[in-house]
Amino acid sequence: MADYFLVVLLDDSRMAKLEGSGLEKDIKYMFGGELRLIEVHVSDEIKNKLLNTFDTARTDSRNAITDVPVAFMRELFNQVVEKKSLGDEVVEAVLAKADEIKELAKKESEFLPVPELA
Amino acid sequence: MSRFSIERPLPHGGRLIERVVRDPERAKKMIKGCPTFDIKPTLHYETGVPVRNVYREIMSICYGFFSPVEGSMSQAEVERILKERRLLNEWIFPFPLVFDISKEDLKKLGVSSGDRLVLNLKEKPFAVLDIEEIWEISDTEELAHRTFGTPEDNPEVVKERFDKKHPGWVIYKSLNPMVLAGKYTIINEPIFRSPFDRFWYPPRKAREEFDKRGWRTVINHQTRNVPHVGHEFLMKNAAYTGDTEPCNGILVNAIIGVKRRGDYPDQAIVEGHEAVETGGYIKSDRHLTSICLWDMRYGNPLESLIHGIIRQNMGCTHHMFGRDHAAVGDYYDKWSTQILWTKGIPSFGFNAPPTDVPYGLQIRPQNMREFSYCPTCKEMAYSETCGHKREKLSGSFLRGMVAEGVQPPVIIMRPEVYKVIVKWWKHFNYPFCNEKYVINKEKELEVDLKDL
Repeated sequence: MADYFLVVLLDDSRMAKLEGSGLEKDIKYMFGGELRLIEVHVSDEIKNKLLNTFDTARTDSRNAITDVPVAFMRELFNQVVEKKSLGDEVVEAVLAKADEIKELAKKESEFLPVPELA
Repeated sequence: MSRFSIERPLPHGGRLIERVVRDPERAKKMIKGCPTFDIKPTLHYETGVPVRNVYREIMSICYGFFSPVEGSMSQAEVERILKERRLLNEWIFPFPLVFDISKEDLKKLGVSSGDRLVLNLKEKPFAVLDIEEIWEISDTEELAHRTFGTPEDNPEVVKERFDKKHPGWVIYKSLNPMVLAGKYTIINEPIFRSPFDRFWYPPRKAREEFDKRGWRTVINHQTRNVPHVGHEFLMKNAAYTGDTEPCNGILVNAIIGVKRRGDYPDQAIVEGHEAVETGGYIKSDRHLTSICLWDMRYGNPLESLIHGIIRQNMGCTHHMFGRDHAAVGDYYDKWSTQILWTKGIPSFGFNAPPTDVPYGLQIRPQNMREFSYCPTCKEMAYSETCGHKREKLSGSFLRGMVAEGVQPPVIIMRPEVYKVIVKWWKHFNYPFCNEKYVINKEKELEVDLKDL
């Protein structure tokens, strides 16, 4: 059974929110340590549920799940922080909000919230 | 001067075309009593979304970017281009450029050869078209296929038959059937809106600017993207070519035209490149950001020809070409531009590179591969030089990061460039071009006109 995962990118503001979560040891580094990320691994069943729920979602050659709505990725990070976990329950919690995320995704072609500059 | 020194090339065709009347009184006399026509955008043949505005071609022709082209092409000229990629005066040119109107509009206008037609833009007189011939495109789909090539006719580089997913093919497929051929003359110079105004360097002005800066050799960077650090390294390193010294200048020439959903806004593209300079990553006395109006045809090797023509006319000595140059989808071989400039593409009329044929180009190609980050070298490394496993920088990876509101690290995108993206994100409520942006842009265009 393949191991599927979602990549959560971490900028300074997200790093601050992760502080004290116990997840610091799971942070991975790319580009000479300049890019920080965590990987949320999911079971085959959750992966299938995710692909069925969001029609743009797909898996790439690394088994990363990509092309999910931005609202999904934002909520995924929120749930990681809230649950202090990278387990299946995180993605399950996000999927529980699928209807809300789908509504937000529809609006994503019109509006995406502007980030605060560090 | 060393015998190895490279001189600035003459414009393509030997002289710069400039068809702009700057004296309003003369302009008024020129249009007195002439019929008028409001320029309309070309609309997608199925969706009705704007895919092209001929005003951009008129601008690029009259200011000399497309020298030696002087106007909308005759039937014989279009035929010659489709067969041999040459104008009737022999100079190479890749694409048919026509002023097309519907049969109904032609009937209403009642014009014929020898008439002068005043072309209005935004309800103001903009240019005139001196009609030399009126002809009909018998089949726009056939024209579209012949413009870009087919796997059967151009097997060296065309891999898939073009279709409605290709935005350039759609432009030709969507043309109106009647063509008014003849020379254009701008009689009321448009005023560029901000921020485009400060990037407007038509060929004569570009050449004067190069003189002022003491730039003898200049390498061009083609762009339709906000720059990431991979682009920056491409520019810096490609500029090491030149002659007895690296190129004196790097010209960034952004193609400004109709947008596709998901592209970065034009405003962010030009200011993003400017930010590379203001941030000091490339010194301002070595770097210049500029624009050219053109609705991209995404014709990969053919597009590279028009890019070479534009930049030679602007005075560049060198031009960078990368993988999938000006391409969309997998219609062409990803290296077809580099194939054209190194050995030619016989089925497109080039038994040798376009620099090595009569009436060809003088600008020198600099065919480049890719830059990506090497964690061993701890630097951006060239794919053909570095022997380590590298971390690839892709535009889609970056776009996903931007869409999520995550600031890319400085090794991928300079903070000054990201700030520009956020600036225009605030302005348009969106970091990329969406349908609203595309439609509004084609209503507002890049220019305004004064009363004549």
